[in-house]
Amino acid sequence: MSPAATASGPARPGGTLRRLLSARNVVVAAATALALLLPLFGSNFFVEFVMTRTMILGIAAATIVFLAAYGGMISLAQYLLAGVAGFMVGNAVVAQDAWSKGLKLGWNPWVAVLFALAVTTFVAFVLGALASRTTGIYFLMITLTYAVIGYYVFGSITPLSGFGGITGIDPPGLFEDHPQRMYLALVVLSVLVYVAFRVLAATPFGLALQGIRDDPVRMASLGFNVSLHRTLAFTLAGFTAGLAGVFNVWWNGQIDPTSISIGPTLDLLIVAVIGGTLSLEGAWLGAFVFVTANNYLRNLPLVDHIGITEARFNTIVGVLVLLIMILSPDGLAGIIDRVRKGLRRLIQQPPGSGAGPAEAATGSSP
Amino acid sequence: MHTDAATAASADRPGSLLNLEAVVVAFGGLQALGGVDLQVWKGDRLALLGPNGAGKTTLFNVIAGDIKPTTGRVTIKGIDCTELPARFRPRLGVARTYQKTRLFRGLTVEDNLYLAQTGRSGRHLALLRSGVDTEFRTRARAMAETVWLADVVGVTAGDLSHGQQRQLEIGMALVTGPEFVMLDEPASGLSRGERERLVQLLLSLDPDITLLLIEHDMDVALRAAQRVVVMNEGHTVASGTPEEIRVDPLVHAIYLGSEAGLTGAGP
Ligand SMILES: Nc1ncnc2c1ncn2[C@@H]1O[C@H](COP(=O)(O)OP(=O)(O)OP(=O)(O)O)[C@@H](O)[C@H]1O
Ligand SMILES: [Mg+2]
Repeated sequence: MSPAATASGPARPGGTLRRLLSARNVVVAAATALALLLPLFGSNFFVEFVMTRTMILGIAAATIVFLAAYGGMISLAQYLLAGVAGFMVGNAVVAQDAWSKGLKLGWNPWVAVLFALAVTTFVAFVLGALASRTTGIYFLMITLTYAVIGYYVFGSITPLSGFGGITGIDPPGLFEDHPQRMYLALVVLSVLVYVAFRVLAATPFGLALQGIRDDPVRMASLGFNVSLHRTLAFTLAGFTAGLAGVFNVWWNGQIDPTSISIGPTLDLLIVAVIGGTLSLEGAWLGAFVFVTANNYLRNLPLVDHIGITEARFNTIVGVLVLLIMILSPDGLAGIIDRVRKGLRRLIQQPPGSGAGPAEAATGSSP
Repeated sequence: MHTDAATAASADRPGSLLNLEAVVVAFGGLQALGGVDLQVWKGDRLALLGPNGAGKTTLFNVIAGDIKPTTGRVTIKGIDCTELPARFRPRLGVARTYQKTRLFRGLTVEDNLYLAQTGRSGRHLALLRSGVDTEFRTRARAMAETVWLADVVGVTAGDLSHGQQRQLEIGMALVTGPEFVMLDEPASGLSRGERERLVQLLLSLDPDITLLLIEHDMDVALRAAQRVVVMNEGHTVASGTPEEIRVDPLVHAIYLGSEAGLTGAGP
C-alpha cells in the first residue's frame, strides 16, 4: 500500500548491527589478551589483588547483569549465592584436625567444589521459584530479603558458619601457592561465563527470556510458562554466582557471615551499576573500577582527611556512582557506547558513506 | 463477496468453538461485564461493536484467560477454560492481539514473530537451535511479508512506527497458525490506505479460521464480519448480520447514532 510507511522507521540494516557486534567482539578479545598477558608485565600486587579480585567480582556482577539485561530482573541475592558456595566449600574442605570451625568434613577440594555448586544451584532454584511471580521493584525487594535472611541464617546456624567464620580454607593444590595460576583460571572462567551468557541470549531459551523481560503478559498468552522461565534463568545465574563464590573463598582463605551481609551485597550491585546493568562487559569494567578505587584511592593525599579508610573509600565510591548515574543511567558501558556512536556520527557526516573508520574509535576501552 | 461466505457458514454449523455462559466481571464496584452469553461457531467472522467502556476488551481478556471471570463459564472447543491460565490457550488454537500493543520492544520484528511460534511448541526451553527453528524463522519472515513488514524484519520492534507496530501485533497472532483469532481494534491508528489493506488481509484469511473482531471503524468491522454483536454497559444488546445491525434503531440509539460514517459504509 504505502511503501513510505514501511521505510519510515529508523533504518538499521542487519549489516550495521553485525559490524557493531564485531567491533564489540574485537574490543573484548583485545581486553582478554591483555588480561592473559598481564602476569608478564604487571606487578604481583596488581595481578594477585587488583585483577584477581576484579575477575571474581566481575563474574558475580555478570550474573546480575545477565538477569537484568536479558530477564528484566535486578537481583540482590547474587552475593548471597556466592556466599552459599563459599560456606559449602569451607565446611567441606577444612580437615577435622585443623584449628578452625565449621563441619570440617575434610573432603577433596574438587569434590567440595561440586558439592558447593550443587547446593548453590539448588538454593538458587528454590529462591528463584519463590520470586518468579514478581518483577521490577518487587523482585528487587524479595531478593534483598533473601540477602538479609541469608546473612542471619548463616549468622545463627553456627555449626555451618563457625561462630566467627571458617578459616584456613585452602584452594586445591593446583592453585595453592600459585596465585598467578588462580588469576589465569579466573580470566578463562570470565571469558567462558561471558561467552556463555552471550551465546545463551541468542538461543530459543535466551530469546524467550528477553521476551519475558519485554512483556510477560504477551509471553503467557503465547503459551510460555513465564515463572518457570524466570526460575531457570535465576538458577543458572545462581550457579554462576556459585563459581565466583568458590574462587572468592579460595582467594580469601576464609569466610564469615559478615562477608555476605548487606554491605558486600550492595557493593556487588554498585559494581554492576558502575559498569552498566545492561551490558555484560560492564560487569568486569565496573569490578575493575571498584577494586582499583578500593586499593588505590585510600592513599590519595587529598582524601585521607575524610577519616578512616573505610569511610573514605565509601565516600569516594558513593560520589563515583552518583556521577556515573547522572551522566549515564547505563553505567560506564553506556558512556562508552554513546561516545562510540557520537564519534561514528561525526565521522559519517555525509550520510551513507562507509562506516569503516568509526570502528577504530571503539578501540578505546580499558 | 462476504455474503457468499455468510451463506456457506450458516449452511453448515460444525459445532461450537467458544461458549460463554453468564460471564460476570466485576472490578471492585464496577461491573464491566454483567452476565454475557455468547456463542461462536467454527469459521465464524464475528465483529464485536460497542461504545467506549462497553466491556469489549474485558470480554477478550476473559476468553483469552488474561483475567478470570468473577462468575460464569468459558468453554473453548468443549473444554471448560474458566480456571485455565492464559498460557494454555495457544494449545487450543487461540491467539489474540491487544488493543494497546504488547510487543517485545527490545527484539527485532523477526524475533517477535519467531517467539510467537515457539511458545506453543515447547521449543522455548531449548539451548540449541534445530531444524524446527529454521522452519519458525522462515515462517516468521513470510508472516512479516504478509503484514507488510518485509523491509523491517531486522528492526527492533520498539523502533517501528505506530502503524507498523499494529501490523506486527496482528502478525504475531496470525503466525501461530491459530484456529481462533481475536483482534482488538486492529485498525485503530492506521491510515485510510492501511485500513483498506487490513480489510483485504482479513478477507483473505483461511475460511476455517474463526475470527472475533473488536473494531470501532464501522467500515472495517461490517466488511470483515458476517455476524455482529453489539455490547453496551457490560451486556450484549443486539446481534445480527451487518445489514441488520446497520439499520437497527436500538443500535443507532446507543452507539451508531453518533457515527456519521455508518450510512456511507459498505463494500
Ligand atoms: N483492570 C481494570 N480495572 C478496573 N476497571 C477496569 C479494568 N479494565 C477495564 N475496566 C473498566 O471496565 C469497563 C470496560 O472496559 P473495557 O476495556 O472492557 O471497555 P471496551 O469496550 O474495550 O472500551 P474501549 O472501546 O474504550 O476499548 C470500563 O469502565 C473500564 O474502565
Ligand atoms: Mg477495548
